[in-house]
Amino acid sequence: MITERLSSDYVEMRFGPRWTYISCVRRFVASFFMIGLSDKERAEQISMAASELLENAVKYASEEEGYLKISIAKADNEVDVCVKNKAEPHHINTLRRELALIQSGQPEAVYLKKMEEAAMTEGQSRLGLIRILFEAGARLRLEVNDGEVSIHAIFKLEAA
Amino acid sequence: MTGFVPLTVDTLSITPRLNGDTLHVSMSGAVEMRDPGDVLNPYWTLVDEEARRSNLKVVELDVRDLNFMNSSGILTLVRWITRCKSHGDGYRLVLQYDRNVTWQRSSIPTLAKLAPNVVVSAEIDG
Repeated sequence: MITERLSSDYVEMRFGPRWTYISCVRRFVASFFMIGLSDKERAEQISMAASELLENAVKYASEEEGYLKISIAKADNEVDVCVKNKAEPHHINTLRRELALIQSGQPEAVYLKKMEEAAMTEGQSRLGLIRILFEAGARLRLEVNDGEVSIHAIFKLEAA
Repeated sequence: MTGFVPLTVDTLSITPRLNGDTLHVSMSGAVEMRDPGDVLNPYWTLVDEEARRSNLKVVELDVRDLNFMNSSGILTLVRWITRCKSHGDGYRLVLQYDRNVTWQRSSIPTLAKLAPNVVVSAEIDG
Protein backbone atom coordinates (compact mmCIF):
# COMPACT_ATOMS: atom_id res chain seq x y z
CA MET A 1 0.00 0.00 0.00
CA ILE A 2 1.35 3.38 -1.00
CA THR A 3 0.74 5.06 2.39
CA GLU A 4 2.77 2.31 4.02
CA ARG A 5 5.68 3.04 1.74
CA LEU A 6 5.43 6.74 2.54
CA SER A 7 4.92 6.30 6.25
CA SER A 8 8.33 7.44 7.42
CA ASP A 9 8.81 10.16 4.83
CA TYR A 10 8.78 13.87 5.31
CA VAL A 11 9.86 17.01 3.51
CA GLU A 12 11.40 19.78 5.54
CA MET A 13 12.59 23.15 4.28
CA ARG A 14 13.99 26.22 5.96
CA PHE A 15 14.53 29.34 3.95
CA GLY A 16 14.35 33.10 3.98
CA PRO A 17 10.68 33.68 3.19
CA ARG A 18 11.04 35.12 -0.27
CA TRP A 19 7.96 35.32 -2.45
CA THR A 20 9.81 33.99 -5.45
CA TYR A 21 10.45 30.65 -3.72
CA ILE A 22 6.77 29.88 -3.20
CA SER A 23 5.87 28.76 -6.73
CA CYS A 24 9.02 26.65 -6.82
CA VAL A 25 8.06 24.94 -3.52
CA ARG A 26 4.48 24.41 -4.76
CA ARG A 27 5.67 22.62 -7.88
CA PHE A 28 8.12 20.50 -5.91
CA VAL A 29 5.49 19.46 -3.34
CA ALA A 30 3.02 18.59 -6.10
CA SER A 31 5.61 16.43 -7.87
CA PHE A 32 6.73 14.78 -4.64
CA PHE A 33 3.23 13.74 -3.62
CA MET A 34 2.18 12.87 -7.16
CA ILE A 35 4.89 10.22 -7.10
CA GLY A 36 4.34 9.21 -3.49
CA LEU A 37 0.56 9.02 -3.43
CA SER A 38 -0.23 8.32 -7.09
CA ASP A 39 -3.17 10.66 -6.51
CA LYS A 40 -3.00 13.82 -8.63
CA GLU A 41 -5.91 15.52 -6.90
CA ARG A 42 -4.55 14.97 -3.38
CA ALA A 43 -1.06 16.02 -4.48
CA GLU A 44 -2.40 19.27 -5.95
CA GLN A 45 -4.50 19.96 -2.84
CA ILE A 46 -1.48 19.45 -0.60
CA SER A 47 0.69 21.70 -2.78
CA MET A 48 -2.01 24.38 -2.87
CA ALA A 49 -2.21 24.31 0.94
CA ALA A 50 1.58 24.60 1.25
CA SER A 51 1.54 27.51 -1.17
CA GLU A 52 -1.25 29.42 0.61
CA LEU A 53 0.31 28.89 4.04
CA LEU A 54 3.71 30.04 2.78
CA GLU A 55 2.13 33.14 1.22
CA ASN A 56 0.65 34.00 4.62
CA ALA A 57 4.01 33.40 6.30
CA VAL A 58 5.81 35.70 3.89
CA LYS A 59 3.17 38.40 4.30
CA TYR A 60 2.86 38.29 8.08
CA ALA A 61 6.11 36.85 9.47
CA SER A 62 7.94 39.21 11.82
CA GLU A 63 11.37 37.78 11.11
CA GLU A 64 13.27 36.67 8.06
CA GLU A 65 12.83 32.97 8.56
CA GLY A 66 10.43 30.50 7.03
CA TYR A 67 9.92 26.85 7.83
CA LEU A 68 7.87 24.21 6.08
CA LYS A 69 7.50 20.61 7.10
CA ILE A 70 5.23 18.11 5.44
CA SER A 71 5.06 14.78 7.20
CA ILE A 72 3.12 11.57 6.81
CA ALA A 73 1.64 10.21 10.04
CA LYS A 74 1.63 6.45 9.67
CA ALA A 75 -0.72 5.66 12.55
CA ASP A 76 -3.36 8.18 11.52
CA ASN A 77 -2.91 7.84 7.76
CA GLU A 78 -2.58 11.59 7.42
CA VAL A 79 -0.40 14.18 5.74
CA ASP A 80 0.42 17.19 7.89
CA VAL A 81 1.49 20.39 6.11
CA CYS A 82 3.03 22.69 8.72
CA VAL A 83 4.32 26.22 8.19
CA LYS A 84 6.01 27.91 11.13
CA ASN A 85 7.11 31.50 11.57
CA LYS A 86 7.50 34.24 14.15
CA ALA A 87 4.65 36.74 14.24
CA GLU A 88 3.61 39.90 16.04
CA PRO A 89 0.94 39.50 18.78
CA HIS A 90 -1.71 41.43 16.83
CA HIS A 91 -1.21 39.16 13.80
CA ILE A 92 -1.48 36.10 16.05
CA ASN A 93 -4.74 37.41 17.53
CA THR A 94 -6.11 38.10 14.05
CA LEU A 95 -5.18 34.58 13.05
CA ARG A 96 -6.92 33.06 16.08
CA ARG A 97 -10.11 34.99 15.31
CA GLU A 98 -9.89 34.10 11.62
CA LEU A 99 -9.52 30.41 12.35
CA ALA A 100 -12.37 30.40 14.89
CA LEU A 101 -14.61 32.13 12.35
CA ILE A 102 -13.93 29.82 9.43
CA GLN A 103 -14.34 26.73 11.59
CA SER A 104 -17.65 27.91 13.00
CA GLY A 105 -19.89 27.25 10.00
CA GLN A 106 -20.52 25.19 6.92
CA PRO A 107 -17.31 25.60 4.86
CA GLU A 108 -18.86 26.59 1.53
CA ALA A 109 -21.21 29.11 3.12
CA VAL A 110 -18.31 30.61 5.09
CA TYR A 111 -16.15 30.73 1.94
CA LEU A 112 -18.84 32.55 -0.05
CA LYS A 113 -19.46 34.98 2.81
CA LYS A 114 -15.77 35.73 3.16
CA MET A 115 -15.50 36.29 -0.61
CA GLU A 116 -18.35 38.79 -0.49
CA GLU A 117 -16.81 40.59 2.47
CA ALA A 118 -13.36 40.64 0.86
CA ALA A 119 -14.78 42.16 -2.33
CA MET A 120 -16.11 45.09 -0.30
CA THR A 121 -12.82 45.92 1.37
CA GLU A 122 -9.36 46.95 0.25
CA GLY A 123 -6.24 45.02 1.13
CA GLN A 124 -5.34 41.35 1.51
CA SER A 125 -7.79 38.64 0.48
CA ARG A 126 -7.61 36.56 3.70
CA LEU A 127 -9.19 33.74 1.70
CA GLY A 128 -6.22 31.37 1.94
CA LEU A 129 -7.22 29.44 5.08
CA ILE A 130 -10.86 28.95 4.17
CA ARG A 131 -9.74 27.92 0.68
CA ILE A 132 -7.57 25.18 2.22
CA LEU A 133 -10.43 24.07 4.44
CA PHE A 134 -13.15 24.07 1.80
CA GLU A 135 -11.42 23.43 -1.52
CA ALA A 136 -8.76 21.01 -0.29
CA GLY A 137 -10.83 19.42 2.47
CA ALA A 138 -8.07 19.80 5.08
CA ARG A 139 -8.40 20.26 8.83
CA LEU A 140 -6.65 23.32 10.19
CA ARG A 141 -4.87 23.60 13.51
CA LEU A 142 -3.05 26.54 15.08
CA GLU A 143 -0.26 26.33 17.65
CA VAL A 144 1.36 29.35 19.27
CA ASN A 145 4.49 29.05 21.33
CA ASP A 146 6.49 32.05 22.51
CA GLY A 147 5.60 34.23 19.53
CA GLU A 148 6.09 31.41 17.07
CA VAL A 149 3.06 30.41 15.04
CA SER A 150 2.58 26.97 13.51
CA ILE A 151 -0.32 26.39 11.19
CA HIS A 152 -1.12 22.84 10.23
CA ALA A 153 -3.25 21.74 7.28
CA ILE A 154 -4.02 18.07 7.84
CA PHE A 155 -5.11 15.78 5.04
CA LYS A 156 -6.67 12.39 5.52
CA LEU A 157 -5.30 9.84 3.09
CA GLU A 158 -7.40 7.09 1.63
CA ALA A 159 -7.48 4.03 3.82
CA ALA A 160 -5.65 0.93 2.69
CA MET B 1 -10.40 47.94 -33.59
CA THR B 2 -11.55 47.33 -29.98
CA GLY B 3 -10.62 48.46 -26.52
CA PHE B 4 -9.81 44.91 -25.46
CA VAL B 5 -6.05 44.60 -25.05
CA PRO B 6 -3.83 41.67 -24.08
CA LEU B 7 -1.92 41.63 -20.82
CA THR B 8 1.33 39.91 -19.92
CA VAL B 9 2.77 40.16 -16.44
CA ASP B 10 5.20 37.82 -14.72
CA THR B 11 4.04 34.26 -15.43
CA LEU B 12 0.57 35.30 -16.60
CA SER B 13 -0.77 36.06 -20.07
CA ILE B 14 -4.28 37.22 -20.91
CA THR B 15 -5.56 37.35 -24.47
CA PRO B 16 -8.95 38.81 -25.37
CA ARG B 17 -10.62 37.89 -28.68
CA LEU B 18 -13.85 39.48 -29.87
CA ASN B 19 -16.26 37.39 -31.94
CA GLY B 20 -19.53 39.16 -32.69
CA ASP B 21 -21.21 39.98 -29.40
CA THR B 22 -19.08 37.49 -27.47
CA LEU B 23 -15.71 38.27 -25.93
CA HIS B 24 -13.43 35.32 -25.24
CA VAL B 25 -10.69 36.05 -22.70
CA SER B 26 -8.00 33.35 -22.36
CA MET B 27 -5.71 33.19 -19.35
CA SER B 28 -2.52 31.12 -19.39
CA GLY B 29 0.42 30.54 -17.07
CA ALA B 30 -0.14 31.15 -13.36
CA VAL B 31 -1.46 33.87 -11.06
CA GLU B 32 1.11 33.65 -8.27
CA MET B 33 2.18 37.26 -7.78
CA ARG B 34 2.12 38.78 -4.31
CA ASP B 35 -0.42 41.45 -5.26
CA PRO B 36 -2.19 40.34 -8.44
CA GLY B 37 -4.92 42.90 -7.74
CA ASP B 38 -2.51 45.68 -8.68
CA VAL B 39 -2.72 44.63 -12.32
CA LEU B 40 -5.81 42.42 -12.51
CA ASN B 41 -8.35 44.67 -10.76
CA PRO B 42 -7.87 47.56 -13.22
CA TYR B 43 -7.69 45.10 -16.12
CA TRP B 44 -10.99 43.36 -15.24
CA THR B 45 -12.57 46.78 -14.69
CA LEU B 46 -11.48 47.80 -18.17
CA VAL B 47 -12.90 44.59 -19.69
CA ASP B 48 -16.14 45.05 -17.76
CA GLU B 49 -16.60 48.68 -18.81
CA GLU B 50 -15.71 48.01 -22.45
CA ALA B 51 -18.01 44.97 -22.58
CA ARG B 52 -20.93 47.01 -21.29
CA ARG B 53 -20.12 49.96 -23.55
CA SER B 54 -20.08 47.57 -26.53
CA ASN B 55 -23.33 45.90 -25.41
CA LEU B 56 -21.75 42.46 -25.44
CA LYS B 57 -24.01 39.55 -24.59
CA VAL B 58 -21.38 37.13 -23.28
CA VAL B 59 -17.88 37.33 -21.86
CA GLU B 60 -16.15 33.95 -21.66
CA LEU B 61 -13.25 33.78 -19.24
CA ASP B 62 -11.24 30.71 -20.19
CA VAL B 63 -8.89 29.58 -17.41
CA ARG B 64 -8.15 26.11 -18.79
CA ASP B 65 -4.50 26.96 -19.49
CA LEU B 66 -4.00 28.55 -16.10
CA ASN B 67 -2.08 26.06 -13.98
CA PHE B 68 -2.56 27.91 -10.68
CA MET B 69 -4.28 30.90 -9.14
CA ASN B 70 -3.56 32.00 -5.59
CA SER B 71 -6.28 33.27 -3.28
CA SER B 72 -5.36 36.88 -4.01
CA GLY B 73 -5.97 36.14 -7.69
CA ILE B 74 -9.29 34.54 -6.81
CA LEU B 75 -10.24 37.75 -5.03
CA THR B 76 -9.78 39.72 -8.28
CA LEU B 77 -12.39 37.47 -9.91
CA VAL B 78 -14.67 37.90 -6.88
CA ARG B 79 -14.44 41.67 -7.39
CA TRP B 80 -15.27 41.34 -11.10
CA ILE B 81 -18.23 39.06 -10.37
CA THR B 82 -19.46 41.50 -7.74
CA ARG B 83 -19.43 44.26 -10.38
CA CYS B 84 -21.37 42.04 -12.80
CA LYS B 85 -23.91 41.31 -10.08
CA SER B 86 -24.38 44.99 -9.33
CA HIS B 87 -25.09 45.85 -13.00
CA GLY B 88 -27.62 43.05 -13.26
CA ASP B 89 -28.71 43.61 -16.87
CA GLY B 90 -25.30 43.49 -18.54
CA TYR B 91 -23.46 40.62 -20.19
CA ARG B 92 -23.38 37.03 -18.96
CA LEU B 93 -20.01 35.95 -17.61
CA VAL B 94 -19.10 32.35 -18.45
CA LEU B 95 -16.21 30.84 -16.51
CA GLN B 96 -14.72 28.06 -18.62
CA TYR B 97 -12.57 25.55 -16.75
CA ASP B 98 -10.97 22.15 -17.13
CA ARG B 99 -12.45 19.55 -14.80
CA ASN B 100 -9.12 17.68 -14.85
CA VAL B 101 -7.32 20.54 -13.11
CA THR B 102 -7.91 20.33 -9.35
CA TRP B 103 -7.83 24.03 -8.44
CA GLN B 104 -10.13 24.89 -11.35
CA ARG B 105 -12.64 22.19 -10.50
CA SER B 106 -12.84 23.36 -6.89
CA SER B 107 -12.57 27.15 -7.26
CA ILE B 108 -14.55 28.03 -10.38
CA PRO B 109 -17.98 26.51 -9.60
CA THR B 110 -17.80 28.15 -6.17
CA LEU B 111 -17.13 31.54 -7.77
CA ALA B 112 -20.16 31.12 -10.01
CA LYS B 113 -22.35 30.67 -6.92
CA LEU B 114 -21.64 34.28 -5.95
CA ALA B 115 -23.93 35.51 -8.72
CA PRO B 116 -25.92 32.64 -10.24
CA ASN B 117 -28.09 34.98 -12.32
CA VAL B 118 -25.19 36.48 -14.28
CA VAL B 119 -22.27 34.06 -13.89
CA VAL B 120 -22.15 30.45 -14.97
CA SER B 121 -19.34 27.93 -14.84
CA ALA B 122 -18.77 25.74 -17.87
CA GLU B 123 -16.89 22.50 -17.30
CA ILE B 124 -14.81 21.35 -20.24
CA ASP B 125 -12.84 18.12 -20.43
CA GLY B 126 -9.35 19.26 -21.40
